[in-house]
Amino acid sequence: MTCREAGPLLHARLDNELDMAGATSIDLHLSDCHACAAQYAALQSLHDEIAAADLAYAPGAALERRLAAQFLEERKSPFHFWSRSWVNAFVWAAAAVVAVALTVSIPMLRVSRGTDTIAAEILDDHLRALQPEHQVDVPSSDQHTVKPWFQGKTSFSPPVPDLSKDDFILVGGRLEVIHQQPGAEIVYRRRQHIVSLYVSPSPGVDSTPELRELGGYHLLHWMQNGMSYWAVSDVATSDLREFADLVRRG
Amino acid sequence: MDTKVRSFELAMWPHMRAAYNLARWLVRNDHDAEDIVQESFLKAYKAQESFRGADSRVWMLAIVRNTAMDFLRGYKARTTVTLGDQGQEAADHAPDPEGALLEQSRREQVRQAISHLAADFREVIVLREIEGLSYKEIASVLNIPMGTVMSRLARARNLLLVELGGAKEVQHDLP
Repeated sequence: MTCREAGPLLHARLDNELDMAGATSIDLHLSDCHACAAQYAALQSLHDEIAAADLAYAPGAALERRLAAQFLEERKSPFHFWSRSWVNAFVWAAAAVVAVALTVSIPMLRVSRGTDTIAAEILDDHLRALQPEHQVDVPSSDQHTVKPWFQGKTSFSPPVPDLSKDDFILVGGRLEVIHQQPGAEIVYRRRQHIVSLYVSPSPGVDSTPELRELGGYHLLHWMQNGMSYWAVSDVATSDLREFADLVRRG
Repeated sequence: MDTKVRSFELAMWPHMRAAYNLARWLVRNDHDAEDIVQESFLKAYKAQESFRGADSRVWMLAIVRNTAMDFLRGYKARTTVTLGDQGQEAADHAPDPEGALLEQSRREQVRQAISHLAADFREVIVLREIEGLSYKEIASVLNIPMGTVMSRLARARNLLLVELGGAKEVQHDLP
């Protein structure tokens, strides 16, 4: 391999875009050629430097509110964009097919559809919880403030564990109605990420956390002592599992 | 129909940060970037039927990029004085309170160096180095061949190396 051939491939090597054979032949050339090795080192350090500089611009809360308001508007007037479109007819036809399919579906299917609906509702509430002005009803990082707040508001006493030493900081709590069931939502924060925990009474045997994904978010669901638990966040799956394990241990 | 809105929200909301970041890097000011993200989400919502099966992040970023480019072209056309590339950078050169303090920091040097790249080079650097997209994904967002992604990226990096001191521009460019 000549330096001229190697030049553009240095970038592909750096970006992990080469297959094994390509990567090996570049590496061989780099071990031979001082000039290319120096260039590769320079590219690597540029890459590292950009990563370390953390140059992503984060959107402000105002933009999140604007978009949320826009979505809310779409929900209120669902025909706004669709009324004149032929797609409209297609969507209704598809909806009719789905409706027929659901009517004749077996009960097992209904159960799973039920939990999916709940998952979607919970994610919905979690997304709302991300709105800065609507995060919690009782903002407090003190479990002894949050826990008593639910008294008289819910028929049960939700667990509000203090997980601060594990880097899940309590943000507060609020009431949520999930699937026509009043439940407690306890909100935690890990770094920039919000983790919402939903607790509501539900008959059923204890189960271990089960993972599902929805729209880029992770949800863990489990049963414990006659309560249904949902944890939802955009943190890494491993972080969410850690969170669930901490909550289960109380 | 409500589920339609909801499923759109669920699919697209997670890409809001990436959308904003790309828009912000392309138009180089906060206010216009926000408008572009909002317009892009609206466009995406109207066109959601066309995205079935595609990678939602790539799809969203492509809309943001095109919206931002349309905006920049319009900006150029509206401007009576001939600004050219220098003038486009005016927004980023505006003094900001933090800027004075950070002026000398290395982080700010890196930011400035990327910001001063021509848009063609800037967008590949942002998509690759900041958003971490693969060549294939970048090619989809920008609607250009992979080979062009590679040559632009190589050229952009070499320009940054020169700008940030250290290396001379290296001769290993693609032709």
